[in-house]
Amino acid sequence: MITSSTDQSVETNTNHLLEPHWAEITAITPEIEGVSTYWLKFTDPLEQAAYSFQPGQFNMVYVPGFGEAAISICSDSQDRSLIGHSIRFVGNVTHAISRLKVGDVVGLRGPFGTSWPVKQMEGKDVFIACGGIGLPPLRPALYHIIRNREKYGKVTLLYGARTASDLMYTNEYDSWREANIDVQVTVDRGDSSWNGRIGVVPMWFYNFRIDPRKTAVLTCGPEIMIRFVIFEALARRVPPESIYVSLERNMKCGQGSCGHCQLGPYFICKDGPVFRFDALQPFFNVEEF
Amino acid sequence: MNTAKETAAELRKIPWFREITPEHFQTIAAITHLRRVRAGEVLFRQGDKANEIYIVIEGRVALDMLVPHRGKIRFYTAEPWEVFGWSSATPIIHQRTAGATAVIDGLIACINAEKLHQACDDDHDLGYLVMRRLANIVASRLLVTRLQLIDMFANPESQNAK
Repeated sequence: MITSSTDQSVETNTNHLLEPHWAEITAITPEIEGVSTYWLKFTDPLEQAAYSFQPGQFNMVYVPGFGEAAISICSDSQDRSLIGHSIRFVGNVTHAISRLKVGDVVGLRGPFGTSWPVKQMEGKDVFIACGGIGLPPLRPALYHIIRNREKYGKVTLLYGARTASDLMYTNEYDSWREANIDVQVTVDRGDSSWNGRIGVVPMWFYNFRIDPRKTAVLTCGPEIMIRFVIFEALARRVPPESIYVSLERNMKCGQGSCGHCQLGPYFICKDGPVFRFDALQPFFNVEEF
Repeated sequence: MNTAKETAAELRKIPWFREITPEHFQTIAAITHLRRVRAGEVLFRQGDKANEIYIVIEGRVALDMLVPHRGKIRFYTAEPWEVFGWSSATPIIHQRTAGATAVIDGLIACINAEKLHQACDDDHDLGYLVMRRLANIVASRLLVTRLQLIDMFANPESQNAK
């Protein structure tokens, strides 16, 4: 039986799923052009204490008068003090968020969806291949791995962006490297000041030596990048059951009721966003899916 | 100056050279020399005569093009075991279409392109193996170029604005 999700059981506080609860913006960190991280805290301390999530899950962020947007949680799941969302200002809701300031409040519903299989990956090598704003949903998984580093084998982060100025969380790479994460970065184009790699994530993925029998591949980013990362992973004989993908779709209800995010038999909001690839395989190369 | 023995030892580190016959290996090793490069050293410039094919053994080499009003744009970096300057292996391109600069210190294997052509003409089995390898390189670069052209990381909103 193929399961749609990561088999990671996610306990969710159902109280937070149906109606938004108010959270105050405590800090805003500009990341790259058009993307900032909003650090949120529920206005009710009891709600904040009760809130928990798993790496890879998302919240619906609500701005009164504009609506809701599904945003991945990018903070440390073990740090209950704040909830982080790195938000790209691309639609009505996120543009409205961009106009908010520290001290303003937004509504939060969640957490929703499946999570990265951090427990199932214990004892394995982990290869994280991501691009652009595909890194934020993976950052909680990185934090989890770093916190439990002895439980994992070789861990590699291959991260790509359009240019060097589009790389996110650059101030954390050194601390990740200190935690024995092999951080490899590539950009699509560079100028003469950039001495790092230039090229695309799937091709660099091909260049790394991995043991397909004991490596879990996690990928998130533009779907075209994901498709070629999977292509290369399968070519390296990584079984589909060891490849995990986080997908993005236009989500509305967050509970699989409205159908906006349907992909074949799945709802990305409920059965995803993190999928084991064997579940997605029949639909992945179908046009218009 | 490196010796033939040193050149052969470095070439043997490259997986592709372990897959060919000792005779073919010797043929290529005999027309190859090693070059130590320092960070910032220009290996060739756009428009230079294309007379060598290169393989990175150590280090990183950036390929760039001069774009009017934008300066030099780096569009690819070659890492260990990667081939660059491969267009000089084709029969019609005799000028460099891009420049190459070492971005970190390294070691490069330089294969004489004209002698490689001759060796491939003289021994079609070798010619087939070399061209098959080049086809793989071209296919891989084509995929990279397609993904770069798609500009997959572009903000959808800025794309719509265009």
